[in-house]
Amino acid sequence: MSGSDLFTGTLDILILRTLEAEPLHGYAIGKALRDRSAGVLAVEEGALYPALHRLEGRSLLESEWGRTDTGRRAKFYRLTAGGARHLAAESARWAQYSDAVAAILGRSE
Amino acid sequence: MSRRFFSRTFRPGQVRLDDAEDIRQEIELYLDLRTEELVREGVPVADARRIAEERFGDTSGVERRLRRQARRRRARRGTLMTMSGLRQDLGYALRTFGRSPVFTLVAVLTLALTLGGNTAIFSVVDAALIRAMPFADAEELVYVNGYHLSDGEVAIRGASYPEFYDWQRRSRGVSPMAAVAGGASTITGEGAAESVATEIVTADYFRVLRAEPSLGRPFTPEEHERIGAATVVLISHGFWERRYGRDPGVVGRDIVLDDRPWTIVGVMPPGFGGTALDTDLWIPESMVTSPEVLEARGTRFLSVIGRLTTHPREAQAELDVIARDLQAEWPEAHDDRYAQIQSFRDAYLAGTGGLLWVLLGAGVVLLLIAAANVSNLLLVRSHARTREIVLRRALGAGSGRLAGQLLTEGMVLATLGGVVGMALAVLGLEVLTPMIPGGVLPGYVEPHLSTTTFLFSLAILGVVGTFMGLAPAASTARVEIASTLRDGGHGATGSRRRLRAQHGFVVAQVAMALVLMVGAGLLTRSFRAQLAVDTGTELEGVVAMRLSLPSHRYDADGRRRFVAEMERLAGELPGVASASVSLDLPFRGGSYGAYVFRQDALDERIRFHRHMVTPGYFETLGIDLVAGRLISEDDRGDAPGVGVITEAMARRVFPDESPIGQTMYLRPGGDPDMAFEVVGIVEDVRYRDLTTSLMADRNSPDIFLSYYQIPSSTIEVAARVRGDPGAYISQLRSLAATLDPDLPVFQAQPLADAYRAETATPRLAAFLMGLLGTLALILACVGIYGVLAFTVGQRAQEIAIRRAIGANASRVARGVLGDSLRLVVVGLAVGGVGAMLGAPVLEGFLFAVPPTDPVTFVSVGGAMVAVALLAAVIPAMRAASRDPAEVLASE
Repeated sequence: MSGSDLFTGTLDILILRTLEAEPLHGYAIGKALRDRSAGVLAVEEGALYPALHRLEGRSLLESEWGRTDTGRRAKFYRLTAGGARHLAAESARWAQYSDAVAAILGRSE
Repeated sequence: MSRRFFSRTFRPGQVRLDDAEDIRQEIELYLDLRTEELVREGVPVADARRIAEERFGDTSGVERRLRRQARRRRARRGTLMTMSGLRQDLGYALRTFGRSPVFTLVAVLTLALTLGGNTAIFSVVDAALIRAMPFADAEELVYVNGYHLSDGEVAIRGASYPEFYDWQRRSRGVSPMAAVAGGASTITGEGAAESVATEIVTADYFRVLRAEPSLGRPFTPEEHERIGAATVVLISHGFWERRYGRDPGVVGRDIVLDDRPWTIVGVMPPGFGGTALDTDLWIPESMVTSPEVLEARGTRFLSVIGRLTTHPREAQAELDVIARDLQAEWPEAHDDRYAQIQSFRDAYLAGTGGLLWVLLGAGVVLLLIAAANVSNLLLVRSHARTREIVLRRALGAGSGRLAGQLLTEGMVLATLGGVVGMALAVLGLEVLTPMIPGGVLPGYVEPHLSTTTFLFSLAILGVVGTFMGLAPAASTARVEIASTLRDGGHGATGSRRRLRAQHGFVVAQVAMALVLMVGAGLLTRSFRAQLAVDTGTELEGVVAMRLSLPSHRYDADGRRRFVAEMERLAGELPGVASASVSLDLPFRGGSYGAYVFRQDALDERIRFHRHMVTPGYFETLGIDLVAGRLISEDDRGDAPGVGVITEAMARRVFPDESPIGQTMYLRPGGDPDMAFEVVGIVEDVRYRDLTTSLMADRNSPDIFLSYYQIPSSTIEVAARVRGDPGAYISQLRSLAATLDPDLPVFQAQPLADAYRAETATPRLAAFLMGLLGTLALILACVGIYGVLAFTVGQRAQEIAIRRAIGANASRVARGVLGDSLRLVVVGLAVGGVGAMLGAPVLEGFLFAVPPTDPVTFVSVGGAMVAVALLAAVIPAMRAASRDPAEVLASE
C-alpha cells in the first residue's frame, strides 16, 4: 500500500508542477509528464485522470471547459492558490527526501 | 409526504447524465490526441488507436472510477448547500416570527407552559421512581409487615418485640433484621427547645441499612442489651449542623432529651435519615423500653426492616412457614397472624407511584394538545402565506426546500418554547414542590432538573418540533402554482386540504382535552367523596400527644392514677373545652385489634378494634351517642365491665336484637373476669382509612372500653381547644413534664393534620389533574377559536353574498356556531370513547366513583360544549357584523 501511496503522492506533485506555468487539458498534462520523466514513470496513462479529479476534489486544481487549438471541447485544469502552496511544501519535502536517499545510496556505494 | 420530502432533500446526488458525458468526452479527447501523436511518431494509422487504448489502460474502469468520484463530490456539495440553506431558513424563520409577534408569543407560550409543566411532573417522577433511594443497595431492603389476615390491611407498623425476635431468629431469607419505632422528642438545655424526630432501634438496625457514624462510634451490643444502662444517642448530620454548627467535639457531649440527660456517641453521615428519612436522633431500644414491652407479644408498634438474601418469593415463603409455626406455638397471640415482605420503594411510594405515572401520561397528552394547537396556528398562518409560498415556488424554490423552511420554523418555535419551558419548569418545581403535602412523597424525593429530566424534555421537544413543522409542510407541498396565483392567493385545493387538517386538529384537541378533563373530574369527585365521608368525629380544634408509661414505674393502678390526673389537669388548662385520655386516636397510626365473643357463641371469634377511653373521650372527639349511655366516671376498675359499640358493630354482631344489655367476652370460654356489658351504641367512627366500607369483612368494627378497666401503657392525650390547636402543644408537653419529667412525648400535633395527611394523596392528584385538564381545555378553546376565525375569514365573501341576498346576521352567526358545535361534538365522541378506554387506569385511585361515572362524563362534556361555544362567539359575531357591501367591494 505504501508503494502506491508513494506513487500517488509523486504523481500529484508532478501534475501540480506541470500546471505551474499554464492551464492544460488532460492530454497535454500527460504528454508533458511523459516527456519530462523520459519514460521513467511508465504507468498506465489512464491513471492520470483519477489523479486529476482527486486533486480537483481537494481544490488543489480547478477546471473549466474550453476549446483546444483545433476547436475541440476540452477540460482545462488550472492550479489553485491552495494547489500552489501544496506544491511548494511538497517540493521542499521531496528535495529533502531525495537528498537523503541520494546520500544514503551514495555512501553505501 | 415526509418520505418524499426527505428523499428529495437528503438523498446523495446521483451521477448526473452530464457528469458521465463529460467524463466520456474527456477520455475520448485524450485517446484521440494520443492516437494522433502515435501516428506522428510513425505508428501505422491502423494500429495507433489500439496502442493508445492499451497505453491508457482499462478505459471503462477509469470511467467508472471517475463517475464514482463525481458522485461523491456532488453529495458533499449537496450537504454543504443544505447547511447553507438551513442557515437561510433559520434567518428567514426568525424574520417571519418577528413580523408576527402575537402568533409567535401564543405559540411559544403554549409550548412553554406545557413543556414546563411536563418537565416539572417528570422531575417528580424521576426523583420518586427512577433515582435511587438514600440507602446502600436499597433494592435489597424490605419491610416485614405483620398483620392479621382478617384485618385485610397490612400496615408497616405493627410488630411486637417477641414476634420480631422470633422472625429475626428464624428467617434466613431476610437477614439481618431489625426493629424500629419512630417518635418525637423535645430537646431542651443549651439552645432553644426543639422537637426532633427520633427512632428507637434494635441492635442490627444500622447493619441492615449499611450505615455507620461518620464521627464517633456506633452503639455497642451492650448498650442494646442492658435495659436503662447507658443513655446514649446517635445524631444525624443535619442535626449536627443545625444545632452544633458541625462542632467535631460534639461526641461525648450531653444532650437533654425529654428532660433526661443523654450522651451523644456519634454523628451519622450526611443524607442518612433512617427509615423515617428525616430522623435526627437514634436511641437504642433498651433505653426507653420496659422489660414488659419486650415480652408483650400483643403490644405491636414496631416496624421491622431487613435485607433480602434471596429471591423475595423464597423469603416470603419462608416467612409464611414461620408465621404458621408461631400460630401453632402461640395460639392466642398469633392467631390469624402473618408477615408479609414489602420492598422499601413500594413502602415509601404506597399508592403514589402509580399515580405519578398516570400524571405523567396526562402531561404527555397535554403536550400533544399543545403541539396540535401550535400546528394549527402554523396552518392558519401558512394560509395567510399561501401567496408568498406560491410565489417562491414559482421563482424556483423546490417544494422540498419550502417544506424544509416550514420544518425549520416549527423547530425554531419548539426551541424557543423549550428554552422558556425549561425556565418555567425550574420555576414550576419551586412552586409545585412545596405544594406537595407532607407524607405524599418520601422525604428523600427532591425533584430537580436532572440529566434524565433534561433528556426527556429534549426528546419531547424534538418530536413536537418535527410534528409542528411537518403538518403545515404537508399541506403546502402540493399547492398548485398557477391556479393559486390565478385565484388571488386563495388556492382552493390547498386550503380545502388545510381546512381538513385544521378540523382534524380541533377534533383531536377536543378529544384529548375531554380525556384529561374526565380524569380530573373523576379524581376530584373521588377526592370530594373522601372528604365527604363521615368520620363520626369532629377533628378540627383537637390537639393530641402520645405518651408511653413505662411499666417498671407504672403498674395498673399507677397508670389509672396518672391518667385520671392527666385528664383532669388537661381539662383545666385555660382554653381547653374538654380533654380525654385513650389508647389511640383516629388517623394517628397504630391499631389495636383483638377478638370478642358473644355470650351465645363463645367459640365464634369476632375481630374488632379496641379503644380504651376515659369518659371525656366522646365529648372531646365529638362522637354522638345513638342509644344507651357512654362510658362514665363510675366505670372504675372495680366496677362491672362495660363497653360501647359502634353502629357497624351493632349491625354486624346483633343484627336482629338490641345490643344494649348484651354480655360479650374478650376471651373464649366465657371467663366472667373478661366480660363486659354493652351499655351504649355510638355512631360509626373512622379510625384508619376513609375508603374501606365499615361493613366490609376486612374492616373490623370498633368497641370502646373503659380505660380504667383495661389500662394500657401507651396513651394518647387529646384536648378540644378554643383557637389554634397548634398553640396548645407546648402546654400539653409541660403538663406531661409536670406529672412525670421522665416521660417522652411523641407525635404532638393537631388531630386535623393527621386527618389531612390521610387525604393528601387524593387531594394532590385531583389538584394536579385539574390543573392539566384546565390547561387542556384552554388550549382546545384557543384551537377552536383559531380555526373558526380562519374559516370566517375564508368564507367572508360567501357570507357577504348570503347576507346580500337576504340572510340576516343572527343566521350567519348561528351558522358559524353550528360549525364549531359540529367539530366539538365529533371531538367529544372520539374523546368519550378514549376516556372510556383510558379511565380504568384510574380505577385504583378512585373512591366511590366508577371509572365510567356517567355524571362526570356528562357534566365534563356539557361544560366543554359550553366553553367551546364561548370560544366560537367572537368569530361568529365578527362574521355577522361585517358589512357585506364592504367585503364584496374589497375583492
